[in-house]
Amino acid sequence: MTSTQEQIERQTLVLTKLSQDFPLDQPDSASRTWLFSGIFWMLVTMLIGVIEAIKLFYPEFLQGIAPLSYGRLRPVHVNIGVFGFMSMGYLGAAFYMVPRLTQVPLFSERLGSLAAWGWNLNLLAGCVAILMGYSKGKEYTEIPLPFDMVIGLLVIAIAGILFSTIVLRQEQRVYVSLWYILLSIIPFPIYYTLGNASKFSGIEDAVINWFYSHNLFGIWLTTMGLATLYYIVPKQVHKPLYSHVISFVGFWSLAAFYPWNGGHHVIWGPVPMWVMTASVTASIAMFIPTFATMVNFGGTAWGTWSTMKRDISYRFSLLAYLCYVGASLWGSVLAVMSLNARLHFTNTTIAHVHLGFVGFGVPGLIAFTYFYLERSLKLRYSQSLAEWHFWLTVLGIMGYTLSMGINGWLEGNAWEAGSGPQGTMVDRYPYHIARAISGVVVLLGQFLFVGNVIKTINYPTPLTEAQPTITAISDRALEKATTL
Amino acid sequence: MRFVQIFPIIIGFSILFGSAFIGLVITPNVTSSIVRMPSPGLVAYTPAEQRGRQVYVREGCVYCHSQQVRNVKADQNLMAAFGVSKGGDYYYDQPHLLGTSRQGPDLSNEGRIWRRDVGQPARDYLIGHFINPRNYNPKSIMPAFDYLSDEELSDLTDYIQFLGAWKDKPKGEPS
Repeated sequence: MTSTQEQIERQTLVLTKLSQDFPLDQPDSASRTWLFSGIFWMLVTMLIGVIEAIKLFYPEFLQGIAPLSYGRLRPVHVNIGVFGFMSMGYLGAAFYMVPRLTQVPLFSERLGSLAAWGWNLNLLAGCVAILMGYSKGKEYTEIPLPFDMVIGLLVIAIAGILFSTIVLRQEQRVYVSLWYILLSIIPFPIYYTLGNASKFSGIEDAVINWFYSHNLFGIWLTTMGLATLYYIVPKQVHKPLYSHVISFVGFWSLAAFYPWNGGHHVIWGPVPMWVMTASVTASIAMFIPTFATMVNFGGTAWGTWSTMKRDISYRFSLLAYLCYVGASLWGSVLAVMSLNARLHFTNTTIAHVHLGFVGFGVPGLIAFTYFYLERSLKLRYSQSLAEWHFWLTVLGIMGYTLSMGINGWLEGNAWEAGSGPQGTMVDRYPYHIARAISGVVVLLGQFLFVGNVIKTINYPTPLTEAQPTITAISDRALEKATTL
Repeated sequence: MRFVQIFPIIIGFSILFGSAFIGLVITPNVTSSIVRMPSPGLVAYTPAEQRGRQVYVREGCVYCHSQQVRNVKADQNLMAAFGVSKGGDYYYDQPHLLGTSRQGPDLSNEGRIWRRDVGQPARDYLIGHFINPRNYNPKSIMPAFDYLSDEELSDLTDYIQFLGAWKDKPKGEPS
């Protein structure tokens, strides 16, 4: 009994810090600010996504309002998805992992928290600018000056904090999550500046645009997501990572092939043949890192059925893992030239991207958030709400991927049979409705999630003895001692 | 490998990233593999067309309309009617508007459908269609750009009528 009371007191203390004195300097305050901002932007981007989905079958919806027209909402949806939800959420995870994996405090919690607030304001301003009509016009580079360059500068500050922490580490061993974080933060300023500040024209502009954009997915978002999964999955299943060697192979093959993928957005387009060939080869070679990740997480997860049943956070990790493998294999297949000839420009691409973001990005971040509430704040979140949240998310992802995937396949076939986008307009209608419903389902699930998080923090219920054991494996034992 | 340090990791992936950078960014810029000449007949945008292009960028037309005809079966009709797009066709494009999705039709040859020499009827159609596409096709899912000013609509029409139209000019004729 006394221990429970102590625990409650400790919790009250933690929560006072959390809610009252606007923490900038507490341990994990940077992590929290980034993580909760990421969750906020996740809701915003999904809400915009649902509005767009409705406009695609009922175009009169919110018609005639310039800032809410489809063509202006779409870049805001994408930029908030990339720079708001995924970048911020997973940076929150990175700010949590790095001090633990290095066994030193974060280089500067204060700078980390301030950077998050700066990022929030800057992103908001950038998106308002797009809505007002100041888009730069190329995909993923729409945010105009000066807001795009502020993002680059803030990443340099963040990279400085994380890199300094890693350099000053006490723990000798560099766990695989840290490799992925290093790969995320170091090349970013180079390709980001190139993509956003360059003034090329015509085909050169397109090739560089896609070099930048694909690096953004490949060695910024994907690597941050994988770093998070590599950290939380061994802790969730209470056993070390399946194989150090396989994570080594996965990391280096990803680093070798991902940066070459950009050209696969212009397959069969008016670009030099060798750009296509190089990118198609690299895209197909992405089977190697995908396969390595598949085996490594599969091996770690093998035989953890009871944990899966009990721990919703772990189930979200597995969902993220499955969708990561699915989206990656799908991406490699889409780059095969004969299939690309049929499916490029169709809704399959949209299904593929959403399997990556909604299937891998969202559940990965949710897994981390539940993990954080339970393992770090030692709070019990509502299991029934989380259960609903999980199944709504699964249903929504399946609905989205299937509706758009099937629709895209049919579109490709129709085009090859001599039809065109106008000819398939009527056929697309039911799929567009199905997609919007799936989006609403996902969004509903995330509202339950946010409600659950807010409730857990504001009305804390500490974990009790009856709860599943939470003595996780330590940060220094995430992988087996290896002789390699 | 047990006590692997971070510098070999950083040097390793910097080499890998650098090779992709050299391959996809520097090589196209220093070799002649990307066309550095406008296609025959292509002329620079007039100020009105350039302003119209800016409206096209601002309103996000590129998210639903591609501007490239590929040499593939799915583009067979476009290919038969207009031919395949070439690198030099985009010589004056900044930013590029190749597009990645076709919710609506490809527009790279729209100026050859709603031709300038048709005169006012073609312009009236395009402007009316921008203002409300569903007056022409009730099934259309294109947004209604009824909030654009008359000047913006006129510029946008100039730009759309430019697209591909230069390909029809007889060779050698001064533009």
